Parts: sequence; C-alpha cells; structure tokens
Amino acid sequence: MKSITTLVTTLVVFCFLLLPASNAFSAGDEYPFGLLLVGPANDHGWSQAHFEAGQAMEKVFPGAKMLYIDKVNPADRAGITIPMLVDDLVSKGAKLIIANSDDMKDGVREAAMMHPDVKFIHVSGDDVITGKAEANLSNLMGRMYYGKMMAGFVAAMTSKTGKIAYLGPLINAETRRLSAAAYLGARYAWTKVLKKPASDLHFKVSWIGFWFNIPGVTSDPTLVAGSFFDSGYDVVLSGIDTTEALVVAGQKRKDGKDVYAIPYDFKGACVSAPDACLGVPYFNWVPGYTKMIGQAIKGNWQQEFLWLGPDWKDINSVKTSTVSFEAGNILGDKQKNGLAAFTKELAGGLNLFTGPLNFQDGSPFLAAGVTATDDQMWNLPQLLEGMEGASK
Amino acid sequence: MIELINIHKTFGKVQALQGVNLKAKAGTIHGVIGENGAGKSTLMKVLTGFITKTGGTILHNSVEIVCNSPADATRMGIGMLYQEPLDFPQLSVIDNFMAGADDFSPAQQRTTLAKLCDTFGFSLLPESRLEELTVGERQQLELMRLIRNGTKILILDEPTAGISEKQQELLFTALQTLKDDGATILLVSHKLEEVTSLCDTVTVLRQGKVVGEQHRPFQRDDLLKAMFDTLPEHNSPPEKKNNGSPVLEFNAVCSTVGRSGLKEISIDIHAGEVVGMAGVDGSGQSVFLKTSIGLLQPESGNISRLGQPPNISFGKKSRKTVFLPADRLSEGLFPGLNVREHHILATGNSVFLTSQKGLKKSQQAIDAYSIRGNPDTMIEDLSGGNQQRLLLSLIPDEVQLILMENPTRGLDVQSAAWTWKHLHKRLADNGAIVFASPDLEEIMEQATRVLVFYNGEILLDKPTDKTTYQEISRAITGQISKSPSHS
Amino acid sequence: MNVKRFTNFSITQATTNGFLIGALALGTVSLLLVLLGISPAAIGYALINGSLSSWLKFSHVLTIWTPLLLCGCGLLFTFRAGLWNIGIEGQVVLGAIGATFLLRQEYSTLPPWALISLAMFCSFVGGALWGAFAGVLKNRGGVNEIFGGLGLNFVAQGFILWLILGPWKRAGIASMSGTDLFTRELWMFTPHGWRVAPAALIIGFVVFLLTGLLLSATRFGLQIKAVGKNPLAAPLFGIRPDMTGLCAMAIGGGFAGLAGGLQVICVYHRLIPSISSGYGYLALLVVMLANYKILPVPFICLFFACLAAGSIQLPIVLQIDSSLSGVIQGACVLSALLVHGLRKRKKGAA
Repeated sequence: MKSITTLVTTLVVFCFLLLPASNAFSAGDEYPFGLLLVGPANDHGWSQAHFEAGQAMEKVFPGAKMLYIDKVNPADRAGITIPMLVDDLVSKGAKLIIANSDDMKDGVREAAMMHPDVKFIHVSGDDVITGKAEANLSNLMGRMYYGKMMAGFVAAMTSKTGKIAYLGPLINAETRRLSAAAYLGARYAWTKVLKKPASDLHFKVSWIGFWFNIPGVTSDPTLVAGSFFDSGYDVVLSGIDTTEALVVAGQKRKDGKDVYAIPYDFKGACVSAPDACLGVPYFNWVPGYTKMIGQAIKGNWQQEFLWLGPDWKDINSVKTSTVSFEAGNILGDKQKNGLAAFTKELAGGLNLFTGPLNFQDGSPFLAAGVTATDDQMWNLPQLLEGMEGASK
Repeated sequence: MIELINIHKTFGKVQALQGVNLKAKAGTIHGVIGENGAGKSTLMKVLTGFITKTGGTILHNSVEIVCNSPADATRMGIGMLYQEPLDFPQLSVIDNFMAGADDFSPAQQRTTLAKLCDTFGFSLLPESRLEELTVGERQQLELMRLIRNGTKILILDEPTAGISEKQQELLFTALQTLKDDGATILLVSHKLEEVTSLCDTVTVLRQGKVVGEQHRPFQRDDLLKAMFDTLPEHNSPPEKKNNGSPVLEFNAVCSTVGRSGLKEISIDIHAGEVVGMAGVDGSGQSVFLKTSIGLLQPESGNISRLGQPPNISFGKKSRKTVFLPADRLSEGLFPGLNVREHHILATGNSVFLTSQKGLKKSQQAIDAYSIRGNPDTMIEDLSGGNQQRLLLSLIPDEVQLILMENPTRGLDVQSAAWTWKHLHKRLADNGAIVFASPDLEEIMEQATRVLVFYNGEILLDKPTDKTTYQEISRAITGQISKSPSHS
Repeated sequence: MNVKRFTNFSITQATTNGFLIGALALGTVSLLLVLLGISPAAIGYALINGSLSSWLKFSHVLTIWTPLLLCGCGLLFTFRAGLWNIGIEGQVVLGAIGATFLLRQEYSTLPPWALISLAMFCSFVGGALWGAFAGVLKNRGGVNEIFGGLGLNFVAQGFILWLILGPWKRAGIASMSGTDLFTRELWMFTPHGWRVAPAALIIGFVVFLLTGLLLSATRFGLQIKAVGKNPLAAPLFGIRPDMTGLCAMAIGGGFAGLAGGLQVICVYHRLIPSISSGYGYLALLVVMLANYKILPVPFICLFFACLAAGSIQLPIVLQIDSSLSGVIQGACVLSALLVHGLRKRKKGAA
C-alpha cells in the first residue's frame, strides 16, 4: 500500500513537471469572436455549417479569430448557461458573439444586456422583430423555404408511389414554414410538371420533438424514418439537424428497396449515403457573417433582422448565396432539367406561397392571386391543406 | 458403514466436541439426540465437511476419509438434509432437481425424478414452482436430489420440524426403503418419540461427549436421564412475591410466524412472577416474546399487556415494557453508535444535544454496571457480556415488564450471576420478568414459574417448586400431553 | 483522556484518507492523460484558470456550488437513515416546478421579494412531497427506495416536459427551450459584476448549518442515524423506523427542491426540461466521496463545481471534450470507495 502511494505521488509530480502550459494569447489587431454551437461542430448538419462559416471568417477578415464552444445545450452541458459562456468568451477578448440556436434566445438576450459593448448575432431568433432585443443584438436567418421548395420539387419528381414524408423536428412557426414550402415544391412538380392529379400526392409530416435525437425525450428519428419507408413512402425529407433519414434510406437501398432521402442544413451532408441522396438544401452563413462582422469591425454596427435568400445569379456561390440546393449525384436528366427550369422560375420571381391556399383545417390562408408577406410566412400558424400531420 | 473415532472440535476456548465415538452401520438408522448445544449439529457439520475437525479420525468402510469441504463429502457419498431446504424457490421442481446434476440432460433427469417419486410414493409435479410447495414437499425433493447424487450416507437434521403428519409418514417410509437398500442414515432429533420408533441405535450427546448408547428396544427413561444430566433433586427458586394484578394476558393467541408458530396460547402472567420458558429453539418462545412486545402481530386471539393491547410505545417518554433480544448486536443495539448515544436514545427527551449530553449518565451506568468501555466506545467493540450489561443499564426505572431471550447467553458464570441479581432487584413489586432460556438450570434457579414450549404449544405450565427436571425434560421432548393452565 | 485520544486519531486518519484519495485520483487521471498525449499540467491550468482566475468566474462556480450543496445536504439526511435516495433528481425537478407554479400566478399585490420567498417555500414543499412519496411507496408498498426513486425520476421528467410543451408553453409556440422568461423583478437580486445571487449563497449556508445542527446536535438526528444503523432495534428504543425514514426522505427532498427553486429563480429564470442539470446525481457522488460525513461536503461541492465550471475551458482552449471533468469526478469517487473499502478490510482483518 505504502509503495503504491509513493509511486502514484511520484507519478503525479512527474506529470506536472512535464510540459508546462503554454497558452499565450497574443494581443494586437485581432478581432476575436465567439461562436456558440448547439450541436457538435462536426455534425454534418446545422452546427457544422456555422462552424465552417466561422472558419471562413478568419480568412475573410485578417485578424478575426474564432473561439467556439459546441454542444451548447442543457442536455450535453448540464448547468452551463449562455450568460456563463458569454462571460467566458468575453473575458478571452471576444468582441462579437454568434449563437446558432433558437433555444439560446433567452440566454442571448440576458447576455446582451450584461455586455452592452459586445455585439451579438442570434441566428434564427426574432427578438429584433418582436422588439425585445437590446441594441447590440441582431438576428440572422436564411430564406430556407426556397431550398425546401427545391427539395420538395426533386422529391416529387423522383417518387414513384407519390408518397413523400417529412421528418420534422419540433413544431414551431419556422418548422411549419419549411415543411409547407417543401410541400408546395412537391405539389408544383407533381401537378405542373408531371401533370398528375393533386389527390394522388401524399405528403406526411412526423415531428420527433427536437432538432436531433435525445434518447428518452424525442422519438427516435431512425425508427420514424424506417417506418416511413416500410409504409410505402419512398422519399423522406429531413427537417432535423442530423442525417438519420439518409442513413436509413441507404440501408434500405442495400436491402433492395427503391427509396431516397434528402438531408438538410449542410452542403456535405450527402456523404453518409450518396447513392440514396437526392440532394441537400443547405445554409451558407458566409454572406450573413461577412456582412454583420464586417460592420462590427468597421464600427458601423446596426441592429437588424437579416433574412437572406439565395443569390439567384449563382445559388451555389459561397460568397453571396445564403441558401442553396446541392443536387445529388444520382439525379437523372429528367430531374436535373426539371430542377434547372424550376430554379430559373424561382429566380424569375415565382412565389409558391401564392393563393389560392388554404390552411390544413380548411380555413382560407391566401385568396387567389395574393402573395404572402414576409411576416405571414415567418409566422405561419398552421400547416397547409393537403399536408398530413400535426400543426400544433 | 461410517465410523467416527475420538472426534474433537474446539472453537477458541470452547470445547464443542470432546472425543466423540460413533459407529453407524450400513442398512441401519442411527439416532443422535441431545439438548440444545450438546454438539449434535457440530458433529454433523464435521461429517459433511462444513467445518474441519480439530482431532480424530473418520472411517468410511474402514478406510480413512478426509472431508475438507461439502464438495468432498458429496464425492464420498455423504449428503445432508438441512432443516431449511437449500434450494431455489423461484425455480421449478425439475430445474431444482437438475441443479447440481453431473450432466445436463433434461429428458433423462425427468425420467429419474419420476422414477424416484414412484419409489418413495411422493407426488411432485415437475413444473410447479418451489415457492408454491410446502416445506415437507421441498424436503422430499431435496431427499431425491441427494439419492440421485449417489448419497450412501444420509444425514437428516430435525427433519420433522414444520412438516405435516402425512408428510412425516411418507418421509419415514422413504427412510425405511433407503435403509433396506443398504444406506446408512443418521437422524438428528430432539423428539424422543420419533427417534425411538424409527432408529435401530441411538447415541446420546451432552456437552460434546457421548453419554449413552442404546440399541433397540430402548429404555426411554434412561435416554432422558442421559440427555439432561443427573437431575438435581432440589432446587431453590426465588421466593414468589405477591400474586398481583395481571401484567400479561394471552387469550387463544395464534400465529404462523416461525417454524412452529403459536397455537391457541392462553396464559396469564401476574405481577411478581419470574417466568422461564424452556423448549427447543423455534418451539414458539421467541414468537411469544416478540408478540408480547408488539414486534409481531398475532393472526387471532387477544393480548392484553398492562391493561392495553401490546403495541410498541413509539415516542413515549416512559417505557413500561422492555425487550432484550437474543441477538443483541443485530436486534437490540445500533452498531456504529457509541455507548453515550445509546443512553441518549433510551432515556431523556431533550431536543438538542451537546457533546456533553448523556455523558454523565452513561459514565454512571458504566460504573454501576461494570461495563468495560467508555462513553465513546462503539457498541460493536464491546464484548458480548458488556453489550448485555449495557442493555440492562438502558432499562428505564419505570419498567413493569421485562421480556428477554437468552439473557445470559455469552456471559461467563460471574456475569450471569450478576445479571440475575440485578434483574431480581429491578423487578418492581408491580412488575414481572418473562424470559426464554435453553439452560434448564437457569430456569429452575431464577424463575418462579416454568413454561415449556413444544411445537407452538405450551405443554407444561407449573411453578418451579412444583416440578422437576425430569418433567420439564419430558415436556421439551414432547413426552407429555398438554396440561391444563396453572393459576 | 481516552476520548481525546480517540478523536485525534480519527481526524488524523481522515486527513490521511483524504490525501490518499487525492493522490490516487490525480495519479490515475494524470496517467490516463499522459498516455493519451495530453499534458495534465495544461488541463490543470485550464481548469483552475476557468474557475478561480477572476471573481466573475468564481461567481459562476458559486452558482453551481449552491444547488449542489443543497442536494448534498438533502442526501446526508437520507444516507444517515440508511436510504439510497436516487430519486433526488426528481425532487430537484419538482422543486423547480413548485417555484415556477407560484411565480406563474398573478399576485399583483404582493411585492417581488415576497413572491420569491413564497416560490422558494413552494420549491421546498414540491421536493419534500416528492421525497415523501418515495418514502410512502417504501413503507406502504414495499417498493425499495432505489426503484421507487428511479421511477419517480422518470415521472418527474415526463411531468416537466408535459408542462413545458403543454399548459405552461411559451406564448405562441411550445419550445424545448422552456417556459417564458419571468419578468426582471422576479429574478433574484444579483449585484453588478456578480453572477450569483447573494440570497442564494445565504440559503446554501443556512441549509448547511441547519443540516449540521439537525444531524449532529439533535435527538432527531441521532434517531435518524440509529434507524440507519439498525432499523430492527429502533422499535425497542421507541423509534419508528418507517416514520423516521419518511421524515428523512421529506427533508432530503425538500432541500433538493430548494436547489430546483434556485435553478429556476436565479439561474435560468424560467423552467427548462433539464432544469436539474444532473446536480442530484452529482451530489450522490459528492456525499459518497465525503464518506457520508457532513463537514467535507461543502468543500467537495466546491471542488466539483470548479471542475464543472472550469471544464468548459477544455473545448475552447485545448479542443478537448469537457466530459473529462466527469472522468476526474468519477476517478475521485472510485478512489474514495477504494480507500475506504481497503481501510474497512484492514480494520476487519485486524
């Protein structure tokens, strides 16, 4: 016992003598900014898209330096609050903080109040619209409904059964908007391009309860996606941050089923099962970050609610296009050509949120010929007529 | 044939077996009798390798054998049927039967079981779960397992405790069958009746020695005398005080707790009495005491203690009844608490405690009761005698009824004498003492009245000066019929 | 004389034990890190820097310390009574629900300080009821408190989710990010430059003192200890083991409930699904590491809180997963169990 104690103590002392810490922070003309990611930085989804945009900022602005913390959610980091993390990033010199989840809304607002000199970008929040935000807090979002319309379009062009499923996260205005957009894209392809009766198109939404799987709390997305494929749905659009739907589709294809999936959020999301991937609607946060951080560095920060869309001249441009759709490698000519034509129409001003449109319960949403305003789309209160699934 | 020659076993300073010789022939049933603590169980445990002997030789068919573990014994064909069957209550009969078999062949084991059942006249369904069976049926299964394992020397330890008469008959028939097959059977029992009717030879043990051996036909009186020593003719029980008001009244009380339970016990105990309870362990004395204090609830019947139902007085300041259990450390004291804390818990009612609280009281008790320790000594560090002294010191002044199990167990002669002197002094004029003891001498010397328990009944109830050792011994072994209640 | 010698001896031994545990845990973790090619010194520096280098950081540590201490105090009661209160997580949750329930009511006439006080009281009641519920299940239903507690944890988790997504959902949309924020007046007062409410610290101190007083200087505390040591003997001393256990569960649950109340009123200012932050389970480790003694609990809580707060530096500064702090905590507890176990064996052998 005694010899073990001595051994252990010696070891400890030895270890501490080894490699003294050298965490020199060089000062100077640096512009450190903080990034709070809700999921893992390598999730092939929402958080990775933000992480890569943050890395790009270090190149766009010489001197910009990213400090990031991932998995910022109460399940992964119990007891750690947003104000606590912001305090820490600020103490490390961060002059601007980006928070990438709707979940962080309250924490960001609190932190913004505590640090009036620091600028805050809350992605996907709407505190600027509701007037709750301090002057140093802006909101940033992408007009993803365009991406979802394209995803729905490709899905309907591909589906043989006419049964398309949407793997939804939790129910809120944003997720209703996006699933409705996907439905409108699919309906457009089905009725206008393929000229099939609208009644033959089935579009079902299932909500798992959160943006990613939390065992015991949410439904298991793997199981939900599996049951979609087993009950005749041959294309599943993912509305969640992770790639379960695509992985399941890949497995089913190996078993000989003719099924596909469309992941979400991140340009590289197709890699987990390329042969089942029809493409991916994704965010590119570089334009939004560039604009807001650029203003902050130059000292002409303005509070704003930035809802950026695709750059129709080149929707895949990293510099300018916030929302895009990366077509999958397996698309045939018919789908490719259809998508190209559809994109052109969208660029030309086609808005699928145009009447006549009814809500799911049959009440009128938009009269014939009327186009939805940004506000109507942002706060969509219900799913649309023709969609199956819970609205609330 | 199995032969035990000059077997010795010592536990520390205690000599449990002192040169025991015993010869059991094949094809016979050999009885081993004696009172509690005579060494019967120790001897059997030596034979089955459960404990190792200190000296002596065991011959099996004239060849010396060494049993260092129960597994060794099993290999040599020695098997024991314990009082409590060693089985898996959650499993089925057939699963239990298969457990411990050399090879795993369910179909074959099923046939074997059916055959054995047939031979012995047992009716056990292979699929029924053991917890649904009676003790007797579990015993039958255990017996068949032993036979299946090739047991040639079968030891039975009090096999008829807790089984029905019908099952007893079945068991005895089975034993006769085995005997005729040439097995050697050792039957440990305190029931003279069954030993004399079943056995061919009987060995009597007392205090670790063989004090008698008889062959058929048996002389019961001689066996009794051998079991219980030369009985002193006279005894001097303490003078009986005034026969006062009833302290404890049982009226047709029944209980099924324990091996024998209580069967329609009706009895009155009055102030001034010191009641000693004799009987083999588990005959109902312990259940009687625990029912009296309120730790156990009777299934039927009425009990009145000091004019009230026997409930434990929780949180009351004065405790008029106390119970000193046999197993002091696990039932009567708090291991991990010190002497002082026990005194605080037992007496006084102050809400706040300082580090001085109870110090004076426990120091006084330590002095008055000669407890070897100090107020901060942990209870588990005290010796058995000192633990008993501590328990005595915790008895409150206002006590009227003292209930005790084996009050002098583990005490040396001096401590025991001191304890009794103290207890008699503590016995208030309006109070009574009820105690169970395996030591007849203690009962005869200390009690004014003796109760003998046999199989959950009181077979004998007499003032100690109106009975004899002989009569008590006969009652303990179930040799007399129930006498009408005294008083 | 004897008494004094005895006490001195045990204090010396406790110190030796503490040193041994520390050395063993540190040694194991360091060895592991060196094998992984990470400098233990860098980790240590990051942890200390992240928790103790400024008042702001230390006040974050204190926001973790307070609820952890409250849970630890609650567990001292139940461990004393020989009960494994694994249901403490649920008791924290119910405390949080109790506080939220009160703050959601419209009492325009009451001043904020009264509301907050009432909410803290409600959180105590909520946790106490949940703890007592596990106790009743044990006494009446014969359900072991471990299984009862575990079951009630799940029920509490389901209950809080239902409240947040159902009756107490945010205006407009239900969200996993919790209920609406309370108005500023209903946040516990926190001075400028502080991150922990002074009142929360005071509650922590008072509860700790109360725990020490109740457990070691009252008859009630001694009775709890006695029941924990030997429930069979308790009736013979006029103590009801079932009721004493129930009281311990209720008090323990109440203190855990206070922790939940603080989480709601001081830390999150709303009810969120994972409001307990796992402090209940963490406190179980704390109390085990303290060898079920009272005095070390606040210090171990502080140590664990430093680890929890400091560990956030690991991904930021060193790109190492912060779950390393969990490894360190686990190593400490395992070392403690090992050291105490060896001591016991040695004592038994002697």
